[in-house]
Parts: sequence; C-alpha cells; structure tokens
Amino acid sequence: MERGGWTRRGRSAPEGVVRVHKPDRLILVMTFVLMLVGLLVIYAIGPQRANLMNSLGYDYSDQYFFVKQAVSFALALIAFFAAYKIPHSFILKHGSKVLWAGFIACIGLAIAAKVGIVEETLGAARWISLGPLGSIQPSEILKFGLLTYLAVFLGVRMKEGAINDLHKTLIPIAVIVGLALFMIVVVQRDLGTGISLTAIAASMLFVGGLDKKYLAILGVTMLVLGLILIFTSPHRVERVMTFLQGDNTSVSDADSYHIEHAKIAIGSGGIFGVGIGDSVQASGYLPEAINDSIFAIIGETFGFVGTMALIALFVTLLMRLLQTMDHLLDPKLRLLVAGVFGWMAAHVILNIAAMIGIFPLTGITLPLLSYGGTSMIFITAALGLAYQLSRYTVHTSQVKEATGNEDSRSRRGVGRTRHASRRGA
Amino acid sequence: MKPELVKGSRSNILARLVLIIAVVFALRLFYLQIIKHDHYVAQAQQEQVKRERLPATRGEIYAMSGDTPVKLVMNETVYTVFVDPAVIKDADKVIDVMKSVAGGNVRKDFEDMVKKKESRYQVIAYRLTRTQADKIKEKKLTGVGFQAVSQRVYPEGRLASQVLGFVNAEGAGNYGVEGFLNKQLAGKDGRLETVTDVSDVPLTVGGRNIREPAKNGDNLVLSIDRTIQSKIEDVARERAKKLGTDQLSIVVMNPNNGKVMGMANYPDFNPAEYYKVTDGNLFNNAAIAKNYEPGSTIKTFTMATAIDKGVARASDTFYNTDRIQVDDAKIENATKGKTGTITFQTAMNWSLNTGFVTLGQRLGNGSNITKTARDTMYDYFHNRFHLGQASGVELAAEAAGGIVSPDKQEGNEVRYANMTFGQGMDATALQVAAGFCAVVNGGNYYKPTVVNGVVEDGAYKANAEPQPVQKGVISADTSAQLRDMTQKARASAFSHVDKPGYTIGGKTGTSQVPKAGGYSDSETIASYVGFGGAEKPEYVIMVSMYGEGKVLQGAQHALPVFTEISNWMLDYLKIQPKG
Repeated sequence: MERGGWTRRGRSAPEGVVRVHKPDRLILVMTFVLMLVGLLVIYAIGPQRANLMNSLGYDYSDQYFFVKQAVSFALALIAFFAAYKIPHSFILKHGSKVLWAGFIACIGLAIAAKVGIVEETLGAARWISLGPLGSIQPSEILKFGLLTYLAVFLGVRMKEGAINDLHKTLIPIAVIVGLALFMIVVVQRDLGTGISLTAIAASMLFVGGLDKKYLAILGVTMLVLGLILIFTSPHRVERVMTFLQGDNTSVSDADSYHIEHAKIAIGSGGIFGVGIGDSVQASGYLPEAINDSIFAIIGETFGFVGTMALIALFVTLLMRLLQTMDHLLDPKLRLLVAGVFGWMAAHVILNIAAMIGIFPLTGITLPLLSYGGTSMIFITAALGLAYQLSRYTVHTSQVKEATGNEDSRSRRGVGRTRHASRRGA
Repeated sequence: MKPELVKGSRSNILARLVLIIAVVFALRLFYLQIIKHDHYVAQAQQEQVKRERLPATRGEIYAMSGDTPVKLVMNETVYTVFVDPAVIKDADKVIDVMKSVAGGNVRKDFEDMVKKKESRYQVIAYRLTRTQADKIKEKKLTGVGFQAVSQRVYPEGRLASQVLGFVNAEGAGNYGVEGFLNKQLAGKDGRLETVTDVSDVPLTVGGRNIREPAKNGDNLVLSIDRTIQSKIEDVARERAKKLGTDQLSIVVMNPNNGKVMGMANYPDFNPAEYYKVTDGNLFNNAAIAKNYEPGSTIKTFTMATAIDKGVARASDTFYNTDRIQVDDAKIENATKGKTGTITFQTAMNWSLNTGFVTLGQRLGNGSNITKTARDTMYDYFHNRFHLGQASGVELAAEAAGGIVSPDKQEGNEVRYANMTFGQGMDATALQVAAGFCAVVNGGNYYKPTVVNGVVEDGAYKANAEPQPVQKGVISADTSAQLRDMTQKARASAFSHVDKPGYTIGGKTGTSQVPKAGGYSDSETIASYVGFGGAEKPEYVIMVSMYGEGKVLQGAQHALPVFTEISNWMLDYLKIQPKG
C-alpha cells in the first residue's frame, strides 16, 4: 500500500518535464573496454593458471579460464543490455523482491552449509552450485537487491524531506543494511562484499543529503565496526600489520607474501610492461592472479602506461556515473546511480589500493576485470541500469532549477525532520 | 573529461575524492613502476630466474680388444642434493623425507644446513641413486634441488688402474690418462638460466633464458690391449709375489708406431675405491714415474751409437782384461774370465763393461772418451733415443730422468764411461723401451703413446697412424745389426727358451742402486728389454724389477718374465714363424 504511494509519487515529478534522449555512450564504451581488457588478460594468463591448478592435481585445459570468462563476458553483456532495456520503473518496482530473494538465498545457503549439503571453502559457504550452469553467489543478488530497494526507499524519503528522520529512515536503513552485513560479513565471512554493501548504502545516504552529524556517526560506526572485525580475525590483524610495515616487508614472510608479490609484479612492469603472455608472476608466484590480483598482473604486463590507462578508464566511468546522477531529477534515480557509483568506486579503489600497498588487503575484486561470472554480471547489470538512466538526464540549468526547489524543500525537510526527531525522542 | 556537475552538490565532493585518490594511485604507481622498477625487477629475477649448470658428461675410456674398443671406464649418474634454505617452506618435512629416503647419504649436520635461513645454497647429501632422487622429487619439496653427478665405474675392475688414474669427488682427473687428458675427458659444462614458475618449471616467456649446451668430454680409446694388459698384470703379480719384489713393471710397445699395448706395475690399486688407498705411491705408474739407472740394457744404445758412427762393428775386436782404467776410476766386468782379444758381440753376449767403455773411447780418440765422444753419446742417448727426458706419453706424473750434459763439470769422462753401460744416468722403463724401439725398428723414434683414438656417437674413430717424431736416429743398417747382435746375445745363452722360427732379441740389465756414498752391491735392479717378431720386430717388451735389499739379476730374474710374455705374444698376435 505504502509502496504504491512511493511509486506513484516517484513517477509523477520528472517524466512530464524530461525528454528521453540518447544514453551516455561513454558509460557503455568504458564498461565494454574494461571488460575487454579483463578478457584479454585472462586470455594471456589463463594457460598459466590452468598449469598451476593442474600442478595441484586439477585437470584444466589451457583455454578453460578464458572460455569460462568469455561466457561470463557474453552473459554480462546480456545483463547490461537487459538492464538497459527493462524500464527502470519495473526494476525499481521489484527491487524489494530481489532483496528478499537475496536474503532468502543467503539464509538458505547458510542452512545448507550447516547441514552439509553445500561444501564450504575457506571456512564459509558463498556459492550455490547450479550444476552444469556453473555457480552463483547469493551475496551478489543481495547487493543488487539492496541497491534497488534502498534507491526507492531513500528516494521516497528524500522527496518527503525525511532523509534525516531517525525513525522513518535511518533506523529502518540501519536494520536492513545491518541484516545484510550480518549475512555477508559474519555468516559468509566475506568482508569484501560487506564493504561494497556498505559503500552502496553510504554513497546513497551521502548523495541523498544525510546530515553531517549522521555522516559523522556513520563514519565512526564504520570505523569501530572495522576495528572490531579486524581484531576478531587473526588473518585480518596480519594483513593490517603487513600493511603497516609498508615497503619493508620481505617475500619470505608468509603474511606479506601476497602483497609483496603484487608489488613485485607491478614494479617489475616498469614503464611499458613485460608484454602480453610474458607475465611470470601469474605463473604461481602471485596468489589470486586472475581474481583479486589482476590489477598487479596488468601492472606487470602493461606497465605504468597500462595502469595509468586503466585508472583513467575507471575514473572516466565513475565521472560519467556522477554526471548522470547529477542530471537526474527523480531522487530515486539519482540514488540508484549513486549506489552504482558507490559499488563501483569501492571495488576499484579498495582493490587497487591493496595491490599497490596503500591499504590492507580486503579480498575485493576489481570490477569488470577480475575472473568470475556472478560479480561481473551483477555489476554490468547495475551499469546497464545507469546507462538506461543516462537517457533521462536533463540540462544543468533544469537541474539547478529543480534541485533548487528540492534543496529548499530538503532544507525545510531537514529542519522538520530534526524537529520531528527531537519531538520523537 | 571533467564532468559537468552541479556546483555545490555532494557529487562534486565525490568527484574530487575520486580524483584525489586517482592522483595518489598515480603517484604510488609512478614510485613502484618507475622509481623502484629496478628494485622490483631484481626481486623478480631473484625469485624467477633459476641458474643451472649443465654438467658435461665425462668421456668414457676404452681399451682395445684386438681391433675393437671395449669399455674400461664408464659413468654412472649419482645425485648431489642441495637446498635453498631461504625458500624452503617446510624444513621439518625436508628433513624427514631426506632421512627416510637417503639416510645413508646425508651429511652429518644436514639438519642445521636446511634451517640456515640466511643461506641460499647448502649441499646436504651425496651419491644418491636415481631411484632415491626420484623418490624425493615426487614429494615436490620447495627449495630442494638435485645435481646429477657422474661417477666412474670400472667394468674391468683393477685393469690398467695406473694407466687410467682416477677421478676425485670434485670430478677432477688424477694420475694416468684421467689426469693428463683431464680437459679432453671432462669436456665443458654448459649453463642454463631460465625463468621458472613457482614450482621451478621453466617458462618460455621473455627473452631472458640463456642456454649454452654442455660440450661432453671425448670418449678415449687407449692403445692398451685389454688381453695383453690382463696377461702382463697377471705375470707381474705372480712374478713379483714369487720373487718377493717391491715393484715390478712391464711395458709392451709396438716398435713400429710407438703405441703402448700394455703397461703393468705391481703393486697397483683399485680405481673404484681410490679413496681407500692410504699409500699415495700406489697411484704412481712406476714404469713412467720412477727413475732408475737403467744399467746394461743401455749397452745396446752404446753399440748402436758406435756402429752408426762407424767406429765399430759386431765382429770388431778389442783386448779384454776384465778391467779398464778411466781417469781415476777403475771399471770392472761383472762376468770375468772372457779375457783376451774378443769381439764386441762377445762383449754383448756376456755384457762386459770393458767392451762398451772401449766403444766410448773409440768414439773419441781411441784411448779416451773425449769431449767429442761425450758429445756424440749425449746426442744419441738424449737427443735421438730420448733418454733422460719426459717422453710426453699421455700419462700424468711422468718423471723425466736425466743425462748429464758433457758441457757440465759432472759430464766428465768417468761419468760417460759409466754411461756406456747404463750407470750414472737416469731414465724410466718407458724411456728405455721407447729408445729400444728406435734401435730395432730401423732407426725411427716414435713418441710413446697410450691413445689410439676416440669413440664418437658409438663409432670408433682411430687417430692417424703415428709418425716418427724423428726418422733415422740411427741408420736402418745399424738397426739391423743391433737386431742381429741382440738376437745373438739372447741366443748365446738362452736360445732354448724361445719358440723356434722367430726373431727374438734382447739385453739384460742389472743395475746397481746408488746409495749414499756410492753404489750398493746388495741391492740391484734387474731389467730386460727385448723385441720379438718374424720378419720385423712386432713388439718390444721392457721388464724391470726392484726389491728393497734384494739382489735381482737381469738374466736370472727379469729375462724369464720377458720370455714368458714374448712367447705368449707370438701366439696372441698370431705371428707366423719365418718360413
């Protein structure tokens, strides 16, 4: 009942004013180019990966990883265009269902792991096997669901000017996000996905105009939670210790092995890199070469020129997302793009920062490049959605006009909310 | 590229944040990839590039069996195990595996070596078999490496041990051909530098791989005939034991090309267990390494010199009084009573010193071994018959011996009078044999050699037939006369011992051993040098023996050794008797 109200109200405002136009091609181009780079790198190092895995007793063909990634690539493109074509209103309408589906999948997975139906890897079950179709990560569904659900929820609150309302907005958000984080970080022990979930919610709240006081509280809460997480897990403590040692670590130290080899890979790339197919670190020295460490392999293969180009591609994509976001009138849509931005930015920044040794390792993938189907499909779907929304942007002057009103409304809203909350308390 | 953002909106803050982070990343990457590039390349190299020596295979050594080479020395591969403690992940596992698989091969303190984290290379075990090495390899232990090491094996046991020498634990040849031709046998190690993956499997990436293949050593074929060698070793051992000599050497040469067909000494050693030998003298091949005063065998050389110079013939006579005065020295015959006017053949037959001193005098002015006579003798003995200088045979630790030059104070008349019967000069058994070859073969001096050729890819490649290093050191006629004289000398007393129908000649030697203050009469070296054949000499056999405090006679002790081998040689070489 209430949801119907949001949708109705959500639809009413911009569509009368906004003329649907061509999408922002750069979003498509950047997404496609980044995916291609990832596919190329996996093509180059896939045989080495297969060789390494085979030496551990597996039996992969040289082209196994490339073929699998190529399939993921195709599926991701389909997801991108599906998200582009399916009307955003439809997606937003069913966002909560995706969220619930994600929750149910995660709970189901946890129960299945407890009774022993699903195999655990690294002490946690994160995957549901779909037989010959491969496997799927429920946490990605949850992430996508949270993105769409929060966009609608916060969009409505924003329009009501209730973004800073503790009872109407902040506590429900805290509960939903808290539940999701509990599923991901505590049950599945996946800190990386937890961070990106947090980033999605945080960037939406930030863009949605969360009060500075709450922003500060949010920041402190995240810091405290982060510290708790670090100190409750010995391997995270080690990662942080490694990080604090900076460049003084050595390869023979097991704890710093991963990061040290990432730096060797990147550093040995030099200006132009060792060239495609000549990566040596990918032959087993660097852990997770095709997943989390793919940036280091790119650094080795393409050198400084390559890493700069890659960062430029990511920055361009992020900037286009911000620009799209900024030119949308409907708060729901703005927040949706904000969430996509947060998702993307958290992954890119934390992954690269860890690889170059300026942030502890978190086990987070480099979106669009890292090997792995589920995460790529969901992030491209999210980008496809943003691509669709880029058709609904309006001229800056129009935004100013509209947001000017909106801002004043929010300001009023803020005041009211503060007042209301005080009253509530 | 700068996005059009609404001024003052929060997206501006996010954009700035992204840009600041991108700049931080760029600076950090600039630092890692450009400033510290060399540092990380060095680290990568240290970890990725494995350097390996490609050991050259040491050449095998063959002897002849008739016309076919047969193996005397072969290689077997054993493994040296080394570790890189810095990269070992599980030191205890390495220790356990080594103990269970190669407990008998590990070094005493290998456990400490494995744990020496600051070290990059430690050898922990020697001489593992291939099976042992494979068992360890199966465990895929990080930081454990193998080096294939070649070890010599001797299918013929002790045969020709002092000709062969041995190869020590470091792979260096010592003594014999192993020592002398070490470089040729060893070959040249190759070198391999490869980029490898994390399990040390070489990768084909980049242009950093260096591969210099090893150049294997030559497979040598000796001129030593396995059957002859075996025979003369048996004879040497039996005779030495029977006679109680400390040393007995036999050299069998082909006088027509200088090839040594057999060279045996008693005692010898077991090359497979060279490291158990406590008396280093056993490594010495006495036939080349021990100087002695050759004694009366040298009379053949004196006779050859005199005949070649035209100052005497076998039938020429001199007046023998059994003693002869040279300067302040009085020289006597060992065999007395053949006094009066006798031929030089008779002097040869009875080995009468006076006859040969007389030859020396006739090389001079008739009554003195003048400087001219001494120069002539030196020219023949040293320059033509190559006595008193290392022969250059392909065997390590050869002694040179020495002949005192007449230009020196010590090269006086008395010395040269002594030299006419082989005292006062030093030579080796091989030198006497090689010189004697030239005396009987028509006058050509061949450098003695023990090498026949090589085996390449399984095929025997003989060296070119040796050419004399010096032709006509004496005339063919002189040589013929010496063959005749030595044959007569031998026949005069021992004709019945040889197979009929052959030309067998030779000369005994009983040399006094110089002791402090003069020559000892209670200790002599017995020797015999002779040849055998039908139309031409086919072999020269040199025998010498020595025993501490023993009086050994050339005729009584050395000659029978010659005779036994000579008769056997006639059969073995299938020499047809003269028609």
